[in-house]
Amino acid sequence: MSSSPIQGAGFAAAQAAADAARLVATVARETDGWPRAAGVAAQATALADRLDELAREDAEAFAAALAALEASSGDLTIRMDRAAEVPLEITRTAADVCETAALVAERCDGVLRADAAGAAALASGAAVATAHLVRANLVVSPDDPRLVQALRAVDDARFWTKRALDAGA
Amino acid sequence: MAGDAELVRRCLDGERAAWDELVEQYSRYVYAIAHQGYRLRGPDAEDAFQEVFLRVYDRLGSLRDPEALRPWIAQLTRRVCLDRLAAAGRDEPSDLEPTGVEQTMEDLDEAFAVREALGELPEECQEVLDRFFCRDESYRTIGEELGIPSGTIASRISRCLGKLRERFEGRNEPPGGSGEVKA
Repeated sequence: MSSSPIQGAGFAAAQAAADAARLVATVARETDGWPRAAGVAAQATALADRLDELAREDAEAFAAALAALEASSGDLTIRMDRAAEVPLEITRTAADVCETAALVAERCDGVLRADAAGAAALASGAAVATAHLVRANLVVSPDDPRLVQALRAVDDARFWTKRALDAGA
Repeated sequence: MAGDAELVRRCLDGERAAWDELVEQYSRYVYAIAHQGYRLRGPDAEDAFQEVFLRVYDRLGSLRDPEALRPWIAQLTRRVCLDRLAAAGRDEPSDLEPTGVEQTMEDLDEAFAVREALGELPEECQEVLDRFFCRDESYRTIGEELGIPSGTIASRISRCLGKLRERFEGRNEPPGGSGEVKA
């Protein structure tokens, strides 16, 4: 079954987290006198690239799931599973953006700290949004390990975002 | 990992294990040039692969600078791939080089050099960088799999990247040999 990609909440969240990761990379690159800044910038860039790819995958998975749902097709469960797995991966990756942002916020130039903290907040919002998509998926039960993992990633995202926001406060 | 000059010396001394090592070290590189650079597929790629290592075996003694083993193998591979393309029926030399092959070669050389530098890092750095950049694992997964405390993964990756950069830059200065073979 083929269907055009649909840019829903998962796509938007992944794009937002990717933008946040790129902002973290920029702040790291602009920070003087921190020997590991280049390495952290490279990590943030890798996270942004991964999230761009996940955004594309989510749009495809979401469209395929909707098409399967409308057609009551035999592969509905497979499509719905996929539509849960991609948002879970976005949640995990967004949480990593939050951690990287916190690392940068605690070491960057003071004038750039708010940007790093803002990036953490953006990525944290993306993590919350995509964890909700995992929860809302029809094939995900309350005790599904994927939901447990998504909620744990949200906890991580919130923890690191608080660290980022507290940096220099 | 032994240097290329040492590897060449051992091969020329007739050490069987050294030949195995050379093939192991360069097989992915040769295959990548054939596959990505010259778009050879299936039996063509396999034949080119075999032909390259046969030529390496026959001609290694003609390599002027043993440190230039990689560019020499790259050049051999390119010639073999062009021979395969010519044999496939296109006989105008100007048509044989696929578009973008120079950029592909540069990318492959860089990837190979990074991979070599990565192999010189401590095991823990190799592991953590491979998991993050090649396997796309999350910080939490890496921490759980390797028993590294949460909250230290990003920092550890950046430290390992710093070591990789030192190794990589050390490898690339000063410039190495020309890769030319004897006429």
